[in-house]
Amino acid sequence: MKGVKVKKISKVVRLIAATTAVAVVLVGCTSSSEEPATDTTATSGTVRVLMEGVPDTDIVSGLLAEFNAEYPNVKIEIETASYDQMRDKYVASFTAAEPTYDLAILDNPWVGDFAKAGFVKPLDNLIASTNGYDYEDFTAPLRAIGEADGQIYGVPFYNYALGLIYRSDLVSVEPTTLDELAATAKSLTTAGRAGIAMQPQKGYKAFEEWGNYLFAAGGTLYTDGKVKLTTPEARKALQTYIAMYKSSAPKNSLNWGFDDALRSVSSDKSVMMVSYNWMLPTLNNPEGDSGALAGKFKLATMPGGKQVLGSWHWAIPSNSSASDAAWAFVSWISSKAGEVKRVTAGGAPTRTSVFNDPTATAKDPNYFTTISKILSNAEPLCQGSNCDEMINAVGTELNAAFAGKKSVDDALRAAEDQANKIQAD
Amino acid sequence: MSTNHLFRARLTWTNLGNGLLVLMGLSVVLPFFWLILGSFKTGAQLNDPTLLLFNPTLENWNEIFRSGVLESTWRSAMVAFITVIFSIIIGSMGAYAISRYRSGGNVARFSILAAQVLPPAVLVFPFLEISYQLRLNDTVFAVLVPHLSFVLPVVTWFLIGFFDAVPREVEEQALVDGLSRIQALRKVVIPQVSPGIGAAAIFGFVLSWNDLFYALILAPGNSATLPVKIASFNTFRGVELGAMCAAILVAVVPVLFMSFFIQKRLVRGISGGAIKY
Amino acid sequence: MYEGVQMSLRLRLMLPLVVVFSASVGYPLLHAFYLSLTNYKITSRGDTKIVWLQQYIATLQDPNYWSSLRVTAVFVILAVFIEFWLGLFVALALQKQRKIKDLTRSFLLAPMFVTPIAIGLMFRFILNQQLGVIPTFLAKFGLAYDFFGPGKALFTIVLIDVWQWTPFMVLLLLAGLEGLSKSPFEAAKIDGASALFTFRKITLPMLMPVISVAILIRSLDAMKIFEYVFAITRGGPAIETMTIQYYTYQTGIQFYRLGLASAMSYLMLIIVMIIAVILFRRVEATRKNQ
Repeated sequence: MKGVKVKKISKVVRLIAATTAVAVVLVGCTSSSEEPATDTTATSGTVRVLMEGVPDTDIVSGLLAEFNAEYPNVKIEIETASYDQMRDKYVASFTAAEPTYDLAILDNPWVGDFAKAGFVKPLDNLIASTNGYDYEDFTAPLRAIGEADGQIYGVPFYNYALGLIYRSDLVSVEPTTLDELAATAKSLTTAGRAGIAMQPQKGYKAFEEWGNYLFAAGGTLYTDGKVKLTTPEARKALQTYIAMYKSSAPKNSLNWGFDDALRSVSSDKSVMMVSYNWMLPTLNNPEGDSGALAGKFKLATMPGGKQVLGSWHWAIPSNSSASDAAWAFVSWISSKAGEVKRVTAGGAPTRTSVFNDPTATAKDPNYFTTISKILSNAEPLCQGSNCDEMINAVGTELNAAFAGKKSVDDALRAAEDQANKIQAD
Repeated sequence: MSTNHLFRARLTWTNLGNGLLVLMGLSVVLPFFWLILGSFKTGAQLNDPTLLLFNPTLENWNEIFRSGVLESTWRSAMVAFITVIFSIIIGSMGAYAISRYRSGGNVARFSILAAQVLPPAVLVFPFLEISYQLRLNDTVFAVLVPHLSFVLPVVTWFLIGFFDAVPREVEEQALVDGLSRIQALRKVVIPQVSPGIGAAAIFGFVLSWNDLFYALILAPGNSATLPVKIASFNTFRGVELGAMCAAILVAVVPVLFMSFFIQKRLVRGISGGAIKY
Repeated sequence: MYEGVQMSLRLRLMLPLVVVFSASVGYPLLHAFYLSLTNYKITSRGDTKIVWLQQYIATLQDPNYWSSLRVTAVFVILAVFIEFWLGLFVALALQKQRKIKDLTRSFLLAPMFVTPIAIGLMFRFILNQQLGVIPTFLAKFGLAYDFFGPGKALFTIVLIDVWQWTPFMVLLLLAGLEGLSKSPFEAAKIDGASALFTFRKITLPMLMPVISVAILIRSLDAMKIFEYVFAITRGGPAIETMTIQYYTYQTGIQFYRLGLASAMSYLMLIIVMIIAVILFRRVEATRKNQ
């Protein structure tokens, strides 16, 4: 009799033990889906993101199939828009009751403001819990752009550092100083072709281009945390720019922006342009708009070796409805392996490790050597808050100087004063 | 002798006048012609503006239909339609009272005029902030109320003029004949004012359909109306020029058709009342 | 009893208008004033504080604000002037027309019905140095004119406005012309008056009330110019085409400073109201003189 009771009890105990064990396992499983490190490939969700209509976006679209092979339950929906519309669409999404986007890419001037406004989440924990991510592998200037107040709000997507693009069949020696650049441009200017296509358009473009001239003249933007442009280097940079516009740029191009300059260069109306480093493959593309000129373009660092840095960063909106899925994608595409895939397909690099990868650099090792040099010495136009406003103010004053409406000194002083006033707010 | 002189003089003025009309006509038609051409050109072909004979492509038109231009057109139409309906109903009621009973006196008339000339920059910011608070930003509703803010005054103002143009005696006569006030309104006043209502409705519709400023700020993303969508073709890379031409034509062609049919009514309607102000 | 019925009818007729008006115009106007007294920024909505007249003072001290008022004033005066005279002659010509009246009128009135942003983008590319049909055409004659260059951009914007809005003037003036009574003209014809005389002494004076209204509406409308600047110049070169509506938009939306932008637009509102009252009184005066 006693034996039967013991058997019954142990059966009950075993049942309870089994149930508890199952319960523990179940609980363990569900909670682990919130830690991306453990079982990420089971993550699911639809991630909507807004991107610009540029080559790097096409490359990302092209990699989605590979991404879905590893993460079959995450659907990425890419919407493209022109640059002008992107920021307002993002702000509308960030402030709406229902978000339109679950993942965002931020242009470097936006990072400070969006971080401060709480529009995007800090990513430090996500990065820490992702095995093998190696955040330090991103180049230092790019990391710095995505950080604000000691936290990481954006991880680098692609860089758009500028450089000097020139026709190798017309330019035999790469200029190493600003004066040499001016001389080369002037000597190559003929009746039917300008020495250099410039982008003096008021606002962003003017500052983005002139910043390179400033660095080439040995100048800096910030001194002791404040914008300082009333320096001899800045003055020389501005005077040289204006002289070059008058003597070596296409006629009546004072409000030229990127597409005007690009058109001029790709249709043999200009010899050089200061532009984004990743434009080189596009210009050299035999099926692109350059036609017969494809293959004749080369990329060099700006004279002096320092240039303006721009970049886009992946960020997760605070009101995202698919944060986990979004991070699954970001961590995949911006990982070391993802970067190699992206760069091999023609994307602009962000990690130092990719320069040592033979598959990625196979197409044009010289190009990558140059980019590596460019990225190692590049600085963004603005650090801190109110960058859109600061860049616009400086760019408007510069344009006034280019147009001859303000003297060089007046323009630089006004730019400096306004920039500091704006960033102090 | 003097009749010859007069005849020649009149002929010269008329010739000048007709010459002016031809010039104006050309200046209107040529840009649209260029748009139509451009919408069928590829990026490379667009680099040559004088290219007239070429192999047309449908890629631009495909692109804009893919990119949500039709949805934004529908949104624009909906917003404009609702705005005009509300404005006509509310506006005609108020306009009648202001015209017949001098309700509100000069203050009412001036407020209505003032609301028409209010710079949109004043109202758009509170609308934006309120839409944030009500969690309605980037919705169609966020655009509707601001559109009322400028269409309603315009429509009401027009209608006051039209009601003013209907002599009181006509109404008094109807009342004497035994009709109630409402019947008098329906049978006598409204028919007289209806070309004016038509003109005001058209004006109001066009005002709302064409608005960029409010829509750009209050609904830049998901709920973009057609003008905002067109603005989005304003590109960084000139390659989109063909698509832009097509998008503009989508906005323009319906309106051109409309202008064809309504100009007569508009001229008659306006000369009937609004500018008698 | 009759009075009572009339009162309640009046009330019922006016009520919806008053309610919707207050909700869509009145309340936002007051709220705008409130915003102008704060330091509201889109990117720091939680930290909004009242700063009283600080934004107004900042605006009055901002040289760019005064510049944009000046740019807008120059634009309005030039544009309305050209539109009026051109519109008047076109209206006269249209009135005299005997054949294909409707077709001509619909063509000529068409531009005013098109959304201004489309017109702005259209002209941006028609006048583009590289892609535009007009510079290419001019180049064939060896001419090069930088439409959006320094010193020229504002006038080009004026011309775009003239292209789009002259039809509006034509519409109003034509409607006015067709509404004029025929008898003075017939009398003048019998008396053998020349066309010029008829125009100066009869047409113009009789048309005065319409002319005043047309200029009033068009001027107040022209002050709101935004789309062409947004589509083409973004205020440039430098700040040559920075009109007040664009400057306010830039400040409030592009730079997030909603409070400051509200103060800017409120000051603009006061200016516009003063002008509106002056023009309004003038229109009343011409009407009374009729």
